[in-house]
Amino acid sequence: MSSGANRGIFRSLMRDPMGAFGLILVVAFLIMALAAPWIAPYDPLKISITERFQPPSLAHWAGTDQLGRDLLSRIIFGARTALSIAMTAAGIAGGVGLLLGMIAGYGPRWLDAFLVLMFDSMSSLPMIMFALAVITVVGPGTGTLILVVVLVSIPGYARLIRAQTLSLGSADFILAERVMGASSARILARHLLPNVVGPLVIVLSMDIPVIIMLEAGLSYLNLGVRPPIPSWGNILYDGYTSLRAAPSMVLIAGLPLVLATLGFTFLGEGLRDAIDPKLKVRVPR
Amino acid sequence: MSALLELDRLSVDLSISRWPLRTTLNILSDITLTLARDETVGLVGESGSGKTTLGRALLGLQHISAGTVRFDGTPLKTAADFDRIRPRTALMFQDAVASLSPRMTVGEAVTEPFRIHNRPMPDWRARAAELLEEVGLPADMASRYPHELSGGQARRAGVARALALKPDLVIADEPTAGLDVSVQAEILNLMADLKDRYGLSYMVITHNLALVRHVADRIAVMYLGRLVETGPTAEVFSNPAHPYTGSLIAAEPKPDPRKRRTDLAIKGEIPSLIRRPSGCEFHGRCPLATARCRTEAPALRDIAPGRKARCHFAETYQKQGA
Repeated sequence: MSSGANRGIFRSLMRDPMGAFGLILVVAFLIMALAAPWIAPYDPLKISITERFQPPSLAHWAGTDQLGRDLLSRIIFGARTALSIAMTAAGIAGGVGLLLGMIAGYGPRWLDAFLVLMFDSMSSLPMIMFALAVITVVGPGTGTLILVVVLVSIPGYARLIRAQTLSLGSADFILAERVMGASSARILARHLLPNVVGPLVIVLSMDIPVIIMLEAGLSYLNLGVRPPIPSWGNILYDGYTSLRAAPSMVLIAGLPLVLATLGFTFLGEGLRDAIDPKLKVRVPR
Repeated sequence: MSALLELDRLSVDLSISRWPLRTTLNILSDITLTLARDETVGLVGESGSGKTTLGRALLGLQHISAGTVRFDGTPLKTAADFDRIRPRTALMFQDAVASLSPRMTVGEAVTEPFRIHNRPMPDWRARAAELLEEVGLPADMASRYPHELSGGQARRAGVARALALKPDLVIADEPTAGLDVSVQAEILNLMADLKDRYGLSYMVITHNLALVRHVADRIAVMYLGRLVETGPTAEVFSNPAHPYTGSLIAAEPKPDPRKRRTDLAIKGEIPSLIRRPSGCEFHGRCPLATARCRTEAPALRDIAPGRKARCHFAETYQKQGA
């Protein structure tokens, strides 16, 4: 329906060097994550004690860790871990936030008041403390990590969508739909939804690096992804514990974190500039 | 002519509560007005007189506190009653661009009523082209987005959408606001053509007296949420019965500056709805106000066949030939 508008957004995203850079990085990480088994030179779990702590070489481009596992392969599979957790969590949180936000913004006033109270009480919890509490109760693991991120992020997304829905709800084109006799479901799905998802996509894209960092942070603390599954966080931890034997490990494990964060942040900012018509300078055709 | 729309003592209240204070504002009070089939009624008044609210209330978009709306003889009470007449009514918006969904093409927008009411539409593109042609827009406009249209084109698209289901009643809120004079004329001619072709009834909401004089069979003048005068347009213009109407007409720009009447200029601002004036609500700004006007509120009464005014001295005012 709005393919014309989307093509315009893509074009102005590519015209912005930062946005294009972000998009390329994100696509590279996505390919890395999806094609990990084919592009990783070794099995990331294969232990080879005789080859431990090797510096970068032609055989092992990024060297090996304390168990002789190939670091490059572990980082490539780590992208898979990081992105699948971040995108699953962001997707679920974004979807639930979208639904609740639209209900709060367009629904009856008492429901709005109730939902806003819920959002406020949820977001008053400090994220790390909450994460530690949930991990203590449920036990560490990928599922727990996603659960924590989802619970913590929902209120922010829901509030954003609620504000968007509220401001559009009184717009003339929505009133026009009501006058024509459109049902609330139709107005929400066909008219409000396409107009409120834009900002959500931007925020989600900027939040994915935050989730990736959280995953890495918790995995570093051994509270996230369980070894031996490769995660950038536990690679970083391994690097830290063997800092003297292989000083390059910490740097190599940190690099993808930095690049992924930059990529998603630039993409988010580029998208924001491309979608926000007030910032757009229209080039005459 | 049979009545299509009858408003009987319609009131709209809005309550503003800031604990522990509670104020009720009568946005509209005691509106009694009928609109016959094939008739055009012009609803005029200053900004804030309640014209737009009235238009929305009679479509069920505003909670009605008292009184009834009858459409084609059927009283409309519940939301379901209003929903039932949706295909037979349409609203044209003051801001035509804003009334079109920004992510829908014009073609999708004008055929939207068919989709909403599940009317058969074998080929929506053909139908869109047909509707656009009817309002004088080229068929290739169908693939444009609202922000790509000019004000006049958006207005035409709005007309096309309003008339898609061939309604009986069209409420036009400032149909010419923000348009060039030449485009205004085109839109008015278009509205008149469509009226003749489909037997529409219009309620035209505006503060533009020239527009009302041009299109309306009857005129209803609003002041502070009440009707102060109703009657056939020509008669009201030639011999107004309410001083407010007279002042509005006198305030219209005249081609000859010597014919301007400065003595009838309305003094001051429209009073606040929170603190309505006592007696006749126009007394503070009326050139004829007497002690009686300050205490006793006049009723909207018949002053001649088909004419009503809410003034104690309507007859005197008319005789003066103001």
